[in-house]
Amino acid sequence: MFKEENPAKDIKAAETIIGPSVRVEGDFISQHDIIIDGEVVGNISTQNNLRIGKGAVVKAKIDAKNAYISGKVIGNVTVKDKLKITETATIKGNVTAKILEMEQGASLVGQCKVDPRPEDKVQAPTKETK
Amino acid sequence: MYLYIYDNFLTEKKYQSQLYKIENRLVDLGIKGRVVRLNILKNMAEVVEDGIKQGVKTVVVVGNDVSFSKIINIVANKNIVLGIIPVDNKSKIGKILGIPPLGAACEVLAQRIIKNIDLGKVGNYYFIDSAAITNEDTTVHFSKYSIKPTHVTNIVSFNNLGVFAAAEETRFNFDPTDGQLELVINSSGDSLKKGSELTILPFKEVRVECSQPGAFIIADQVTKLKPPVIVSVACKKLKTIVGNKRLF
Repeated sequence: MFKEENPAKDIKAAETIIGPSVRVEGDFISQHDIIIDGEVVGNISTQNNLRIGKGAVVKAKIDAKNAYISGKVIGNVTVKDKLKITETATIKGNVTAKILEMEQGASLVGQCKVDPRPEDKVQAPTKETK
Repeated sequence: MYLYIYDNFLTEKKYQSQLYKIENRLVDLGIKGRVVRLNILKNMAEVVEDGIKQGVKTVVVVGNDVSFSKIINIVANKNIVLGIIPVDNKSKIGKILGIPPLGAACEVLAQRIIKNIDLGKVGNYYFIDSAAITNEDTTVHFSKYSIKPTHVTNIVSFNNLGVFAAAEETRFNFDPTDGQLELVINSSGDSLKKGSELTILPFKEVRVECSQPGAFIIADQVTKLKPPVIVSVACKKLKTIVGNKRLF
């Protein structure tokens, strides 16, 4: 069903890596790929790929283009394209993605909105002027 | 006009033959200049100031990474080109700038490929390679977030050139012309293990705080500064001669 691999799974040369023995607090905003193996509290936003490792603990609102989550997330996750939640992942929060892949054993407590179709542009009725 | 500065440890006899070879090669390549040997009575800053007054446009330091680090703060705000001749193959700065040791460095100097590279700035001191602090109570403040190591053996460093492991099998090259520095937090202490335990974050300016008294941030293994300090990038601050085999 999911023939295309998630680009966030194998980030080759991430500019930003949060290692396992580090804690980040605040609004973490980046234009580049991000790998998180440590602890983040606040907000995470990237216009590219995000990978949250197995031991990572993220208490944050997440925005990313593609995401590959294997760690613990508390907060809403919004992904523009592909989101993969692996068997070791635990998410407490609402999830929004264009394509969602979830492995058996993964935990997701929250609402889930997945819509692979492009957003329909609903035109508002125009007012006729006399 | 070239000014060649020999660091004071080169007065040892074991370096004499190597220095003769360098001098002969410089003559062959037509880039011979004034030679100054540093000693207790002659310091680098005075030598460079005198050289500039006499019209020197290129200063070449012969020595090791500590020698190159010492000259950075002297030439950073001056309109001169810096060249280096490493006297052994242990020079990290030489490797990153693509400058081989001894006579082979003279060929690179003669080619005269000049790049404007970034420098790091900690407080009022410039550094070319890195500034580091080893303390578990260190907090690095970015504009919108802060980062704190949670492990006792963490080494927090602010890098311009790159991070090498001792064996050099593992290395992370950073571009010293990209207008940013990289914060690296290595939780495995001195050893650098590939892809693990590392935190890497690019930045332009951060504030470094340490709650423990007696902690120091050491710039290029030369200058010690007491936190809190601002660490920032000084874009394209240094004109330096680089080789074809540079790592950026």
